[in-house]
Amino acid sequence: MDKEGTPPIPKRTTRSSSSITPSKNAAKPPKTSDPYPPSTLNDLIFGQPISLDSLLSNFPGRRIQILELLRLLGPPNSPLLPLFIYGGSSTGKTSIVLQIFRHLNRPFVYSSCRTCYNPRILFESTLNQLLLHRRKVVNGYSSAKRCERPADFVNYLREALNDVLTNLKGHLRKSSSEKLEERGNGRMIYLIFDNVELVREWDKSSGITHLLFELYDILKMPEVGLIFISSTSPDTYYSSAGVVEPIPVLFPDYTEDVLCQIFMRNQANPKLYSSFLDVILRPFCRITRRVDELSTAFSPLFKKYCEPLSDLGVVPSEDMKRRLFCHLQPHIAASLNEIFKFESQPSLEAEANKEKFTRKCNMRKVEGGEAFDEMDFHISTSAKYLLISAFLASRNPATLDASLFDSTGGSDNRKRRRKSSGKSIEQKESAEQELLMKGPGSFPLERLLAIFQCITSVAEGSLEEDQQEDGGLGAEGGDIGLMSDVLLQLSTLCNANFISKGGSCPLEGSTRYRSTVGEEMALKNSIWCLRSLMAKPSFSIVHSYLTGTLQKLISRFENDCHILGNWLTESFDCYVIVQI
Amino acid sequence: MAPSATPDSSSSSPTSDNRENNLQPFFVLHKALPRKSERKATGPVKTRRKIDLSPASPKSSEKSKADRIEEYEDCHYKPLRIEAFDLVWSRIETSIQDVLRDINNNVFNEIHHWVSESFTAIRSFERPNSSKVNRLYPIVTDISCKQLFTGLVFTKNVEFVDDLLTFEELGLHLKSHGCHVANLSSLEFSAKNGIGGCLKSLLRQFVRVTPDAADIAILASWYSERENCDNPLVVIIDDLERCNGSVLAEFLLMLSEWVVSIPIILIMGVATTVDAPRNILPSNALQRLCPCKFTLGSPAERMDAIIKGVLLKPCFGFNVGYKVAGFLRNYFLRQDGTLTSFIRALKIACVKHFLAEPLSFLLEGILDEDSHYFWSEKCALLPEVMLKSAFDLPSCKRDKMAEQTGENLANGLSELKRLRKNWISAVLCLYEAGKCHKIQLLDIFCEALDPDFFNKRASDHQSGLGLRKGGFICQAVRKVRDLPVARLCQLIKIWEKNTDGITEIHSKVKELLSMLKFEDNDKSLKQDLSHTSKRPTSRSHLYKDKGTKAVNEKAAILLECMVRDYLQPIECTPFHEIICFSNVDILQSALIGDPRRTIQVDLLKSHNYLQCSCCSKSNNSLLPSMHDTSIMYTLAQEHGDLINLHDWYQSFKGTITCPTIKGKHKMKQSPLSKKRKTNESPDISEASIQARFCRAVTELQITGLLRMPSKRRPDCVQRVAFGL
Repeated sequence: MDKEGTPPIPKRTTRSSSSITPSKNAAKPPKTSDPYPPSTLNDLIFGQPISLDSLLSNFPGRRIQILELLRLLGPPNSPLLPLFIYGGSSTGKTSIVLQIFRHLNRPFVYSSCRTCYNPRILFESTLNQLLLHRRKVVNGYSSAKRCERPADFVNYLREALNDVLTNLKGHLRKSSSEKLEERGNGRMIYLIFDNVELVREWDKSSGITHLLFELYDILKMPEVGLIFISSTSPDTYYSSAGVVEPIPVLFPDYTEDVLCQIFMRNQANPKLYSSFLDVILRPFCRITRRVDELSTAFSPLFKKYCEPLSDLGVVPSEDMKRRLFCHLQPHIAASLNEIFKFESQPSLEAEANKEKFTRKCNMRKVEGGEAFDEMDFHISTSAKYLLISAFLASRNPATLDASLFDSTGGSDNRKRRRKSSGKSIEQKESAEQELLMKGPGSFPLERLLAIFQCITSVAEGSLEEDQQEDGGLGAEGGDIGLMSDVLLQLSTLCNANFISKGGSCPLEGSTRYRSTVGEEMALKNSIWCLRSLMAKPSFSIVHSYLTGTLQKLISRFENDCHILGNWLTESFDCYVIVQI
Repeated sequence: MAPSATPDSSSSSPTSDNRENNLQPFFVLHKALPRKSERKATGPVKTRRKIDLSPASPKSSEKSKADRIEEYEDCHYKPLRIEAFDLVWSRIETSIQDVLRDINNNVFNEIHHWVSESFTAIRSFERPNSSKVNRLYPIVTDISCKQLFTGLVFTKNVEFVDDLLTFEELGLHLKSHGCHVANLSSLEFSAKNGIGGCLKSLLRQFVRVTPDAADIAILASWYSERENCDNPLVVIIDDLERCNGSVLAEFLLMLSEWVVSIPIILIMGVATTVDAPRNILPSNALQRLCPCKFTLGSPAERMDAIIKGVLLKPCFGFNVGYKVAGFLRNYFLRQDGTLTSFIRALKIACVKHFLAEPLSFLLEGILDEDSHYFWSEKCALLPEVMLKSAFDLPSCKRDKMAEQTGENLANGLSELKRLRKNWISAVLCLYEAGKCHKIQLLDIFCEALDPDFFNKRASDHQSGLGLRKGGFICQAVRKVRDLPVARLCQLIKIWEKNTDGITEIHSKVKELLSMLKFEDNDKSLKQDLSHTSKRPTSRSHLYKDKGTKAVNEKAAILLECMVRDYLQPIECTPFHEIICFSNVDILQSALIGDPRRTIQVDLLKSHNYLQCSCCSKSNNSLLPSMHDTSIMYTLAQEHGDLINLHDWYQSFKGTITCPTIKGKHKMKQSPLSKKRKTNESPDISEASIQARFCRAVTELQITGLLRMPSKRRPDCVQRVAFGL
């Protein structure tokens, strides 16, 4: 360790001593042949300081927090107890801290625990910054020190900090006469750790969080300030007593007014945008107040909003606002539920695009039923049957299987079911509700295969008949049992996330599966199955079940979308006719 | 012979036995007695003779003639056949690659266009100067700058095998346009490796270093180097569905923090639906994506393109028969759905064809420019045996060729080539007609290959076309009748190209085309007239409709005529065996293992495999001489899902110790084994029966047919496999 550690030290000293002269170079992109400007202490400063006023105006609604932080940081060279800044994500914590340092023009080291995803990288990247080390081809993109253990980190850190601090003092003395603002202000160096909440997940037992919080006590260097930024509150961290507790600073969620101010910044047409915000902000604020989520949701909506306008610079009148609102209204509800939207290349837009733009649009647009009876990707027949059997196995209690797929024949079965359904519809409904709440159940492989075989035994018969109709297209020689390679199909479906492999059952010790197919998918699939099985005399049992699912699905979809519902009921009716 | 009697006569050559029969695990447990007849014949030199025996030995006398041909042509023509195979297959392979590349090319170009657009968009945020690149804090605070441009490429196939190659090619395509490309497979996003795994692979591909700790800062400093910083970085993830959601999400979040200094553009393959990213990724990762959708050609489209580009090219010699085509189609639709396996099946067929067909080296001639010259040259040199075998082909016997000369063979082959060309033209015309109604080429192709269908057509001329009702060809013809004029015009133009080789049809097509053109002029003239007269009469409309209807009718009749006269399947032509592969069984056994079923069948009918004299006599009844596992499985058939161990054991014991059947059976056996059997059978101890029972149960469990007793029901085992 020591061997590796020692060589860079002379390098570093030469660098920092030479750093005084080319200090201005660092700000511009170098035009010399050397692409790397020598690293200087300037790298630890944000650069181009800003005034307090612009800082405050950049962050509306954060005046209290900024002033508080400035007060805690104090005048130059004043020691700092550890700070703990917390608040929900996207509330401006990181940006504000960074901008404050830009304003104060003090040197700092920033490490985000998201980028540094394990302790070693966190340690090394902190040290790299402190040692002004730069990864490049020459050094094989390696870091300055190899540092895996917390103890090493503390040692190296102390060394590096001492060096930096002496350098800072040296600069101060030298530059005090001339350009003070070029150098950082003061002799303090600050270590900022962002996304500290992620550290907890690295290794549940490792004491990295403790290390970070105890760093102040361990280092015992008054010139080092520690700042932690986290999205969870301090209560979720501390456990050991006797540590200097960081001073918490809370960044609360933005209020609606502040959000309005934030979104109004840098708008080309503030009037238009404010009328847009009037409409949109309130419903969205009920769902989320995160600026990032809102802004991703707003940008396409604003485009929609502006669609009827020819001139974007127009100042909207009341009447126009109303019209624009009417134009926008149908899209609001949809985008409230959507977090993820597609934009296609305009060149691609032809017909494929229209068909499946998003699900919501699809439902609204489709007139006939064409888009529903087929899945828009290729899936082999046997996988389709497997999918539907997985769906059945997942949604049905296992006790129903025997009555549904009994080989004794459909007629008496049906009678029985009719009776029972007449008696206890309510019971059934409540059971259904319960099923819905529970979600899909898990099932062992054997049950899946059994159901699969029941369905395919019907289906294979039907296929044969189809082939006879076709004149035996590949009937004799090319006939392949659907049952073969089932496990291969199953793994395909697992890969496609249609079926998830659950943990093993504690009692039986075999893997259990669960169908994670959405109902819409299942619907498409079962419609397909019905079509392919239709006009078969021998399919009553399977069918009666499939229609059961269909009916359920229809009733659920009817509320959502009438066109689909109608279409389904129609096809269902014609199916029933066929069956009778 | 029972397995308990293993140290018997055959033990003298167990190893040679194994090698000879290529024994599988099941055989090893139970060695077959040599068949009686052989045993008689062999006499004293038993062991030596055994090695000589090949499975096909009983037929050896019949085959001797064929063997001679084989021997003869092995030395002379085998190299020729191999050469021909190499030539044919390399042609097919390259053309498949070309076809696939052509299909993807459009999408690839679109993706590249989008990549460069996104790159300029990222660059427009704020060009970081190189001194800042090394800093680890986020430089820009605007949220829109944290978005990752993500191309979602929909592959339209649940199986991702085909797309591995596609994404590789996409990577090469983008590389050739100057992007830095890294291909990440979904395996790198596993929970085990965590985010370190994918970063490491990323660094390995971009920076070409493998650091111990994969830090994304390395990538940043690499990218800030002068020679790298002007091109976008593209990361291709081939299958989104198979990625671990949390790892991928973390990866995305990290990248999005760095997107300004490292302008990474993501391309992700999505196999299923638009919901897939929603299902996998948490919302905070999702909203960092700025998605754009691309769609690759669906497998069906690609399949059609391959068939058109390979199987329907007159210059490719290799053909598949009706059954093979049907098998391939079914396999594609029902089981696998990947082009990869289709191509593999085609290759297997090709190899098998060249291996099995002695005259297949003549196939090379089709590839030649002047194939007739090639054939007449080759056929003249053919030895008599080969010639005879050519004229003995069933297709030729049917036709009763006059003289068995090389010249005739060459002529026959040329005729075959001509017929095939016509057939291809007709199929392509049908395809074009069906295209507007989404009838797939694969379906038409298979139907057009059906020899029965052709024969039926040939036999009853008077009943019109004799098209199969509801068949794809019939549909295609029907669709022509109600095509709108513009489409019809297009269609006929394509026909004109397709029917280049058939002069008769070609002229008719031209006639049709001129008719259409005339009508077009006529119509515009009429329209002008009506415009001038300001009186759009209904009569002119009527007339016009009538006119186009007539053209439609004529086109349909023409197509019917093509079907009748030129759609002669290859299997109805003499000498087709030389260029056409029609042995579906080979292909089936190569592609579909169906292991569970096979195991069950083999267990139930073990003597079919073992072919031992002791068991073959009785058809279905259980014999103690059968293999234990086989007995056990047969007994298990009588139980339901649960098998009571005690009952099972008792019936097993009863079967193997049953003296009456055994005694009767023994008499028929050869004296040698009989002696041993009678000595042994009385003293099968209880312990050994139990041991055999246990071993059989374990074997059944290993083969996956049984599940061991659970804690709840310790006295029962459960049957796992269902039915045959």
